[in-house]
Amino acid sequence: MKIYITGAATTKFGELWGISPRSLAREAVTDALTDARLAPTRVQALFVGNMLSGMLGGQEHLGAFFAEELGLGVAAFKIEGACASGGVALHNAVNSVLSGQYETVVALGIEKMTDHKPEDVATALMGAGSEEERLAGATFPGLYAILARAHMQAFGTSEEELAAVAVKNHYHASLNPNAQFHNMITVEQVMRSSKIADPLKLLDCSPISDGAAAVVVTSEKLKVKSDKRVEILASAVATDTLGLAQRKSLTELQATQEASKKAYKTAGIGPKDIDVAEVHDCFTIAEILAMEDLGFYKKGKAAHAIASGKTRLGTSDHLIVNPSGGLKGCGHPVGATGIKQVVELVEQLRGRTGARQVQKARIGLAHNVGGDGPTAVVHILKI
Amino acid sequence: MLGKTGKIISWTVIRVPSTEFSSLAPYPVVIVDMTGGGKITAQLVDWNEEDLGFGRRVKIVIRRVSEPSTEGIIPYGIKVKPL
Repeated sequence: MKIYITGAATTKFGELWGISPRSLAREAVTDALTDARLAPTRVQALFVGNMLSGMLGGQEHLGAFFAEELGLGVAAFKIEGACASGGVALHNAVNSVLSGQYETVVALGIEKMTDHKPEDVATALMGAGSEEERLAGATFPGLYAILARAHMQAFGTSEEELAAVAVKNHYHASLNPNAQFHNMITVEQVMRSSKIADPLKLLDCSPISDGAAAVVVTSEKLKVKSDKRVEILASAVATDTLGLAQRKSLTELQATQEASKKAYKTAGIGPKDIDVAEVHDCFTIAEILAMEDLGFYKKGKAAHAIASGKTRLGTSDHLIVNPSGGLKGCGHPVGATGIKQVVELVEQLRGRTGARQVQKARIGLAHNVGGDGPTAVVHILKI
Repeated sequence: MLGKTGKIISWTVIRVPSTEFSSLAPYPVVIVDMTGGGKITAQLVDWNEEDLGFGRRVKIVIRRVSEPSTEGIIPYGIKVKPL
């Protein structure tokens, strides 16, 4: 059975102190249903991707919470997979339609982070790591810094090449009205920014953000008026050890490799067929690892390719990466990110992204990671 | 585990910690390949800059993990120190 995204929408991402989670969810879901030209009464189930509502906001039970808020009164679920919560929610939404149980469902990703102290957010995010890592006082910038150090040692990757990822993604974000940041940055500015966890500096790190995004997932049986529905060719999830130390290698994320292999096989395509990708650049090293583990470059070759502009809008005519600005430039409300990536691909494939449009984009790939690689989700979309 | 040794295979220096570790920053977190097998993630104590490097040897020690909680319980656990 073919599965489609018939509606997609995202709120603005950023420090949205004046907007409640209820309002964010209402905006994203209402806009996605309007885009699909479907009445809310057509929705049969709601999948909510969120990580921190309990730890930061004291509110769990988000399935019922948002089903009530949105006036849907349907089956509803909170899906948690750390920073991959959005991607995992969409995977479950897709499976629920594939199973024949539902014809029309909504996957919503949402996170509200900036109302809380950064130290409290750091503690809450470490819930995605292992107990050993928490007892060591590790943070997520620290764990990705350990991966960066290992990659630099193995392949000669430089701090300037890491910085180039952030420079590219800020440029893309400057073209995205919904992005958290619209300022362009330079490699020198990244290099001079304050150290967070050596060798990662402030501008190597995605920000703390608020935001929501939603997609309407429908089966081929549903007759829709939506003019440009996008097919989901594949939805794949893989997992790995929670702790970094327990992995075979510190220079790859095996979950990314496995999820993408499964997704390429299901879709019947390979990395060369992808025109546009949204990959999980929570830290600059993460985009380099992703580009290698998704099969776009051989191990050790991605950093130089990114730094030389191979995946940047305007300097390349094939495989543009993170046109939304990525997590670094667009912002990273953790539960919303996986859905936002897919919304960006849907809009790119429909040719509706204006100044940041990737020309002749037909096939897109979204890559969403939980923590430092215990969960990876890959979706492949085609217009 | 106490007294066991191993080699550093990657590391970072945490400069922006979570609340309970704020009085310790900056501090290194290292991945250690243990002699005799297995790998661990641990905090490095009693360190200088030159102790941070690939292949540097460390030993497991017992130390206070972080600031005591509001209940006054002092948490102890495993850390590593340079050999």
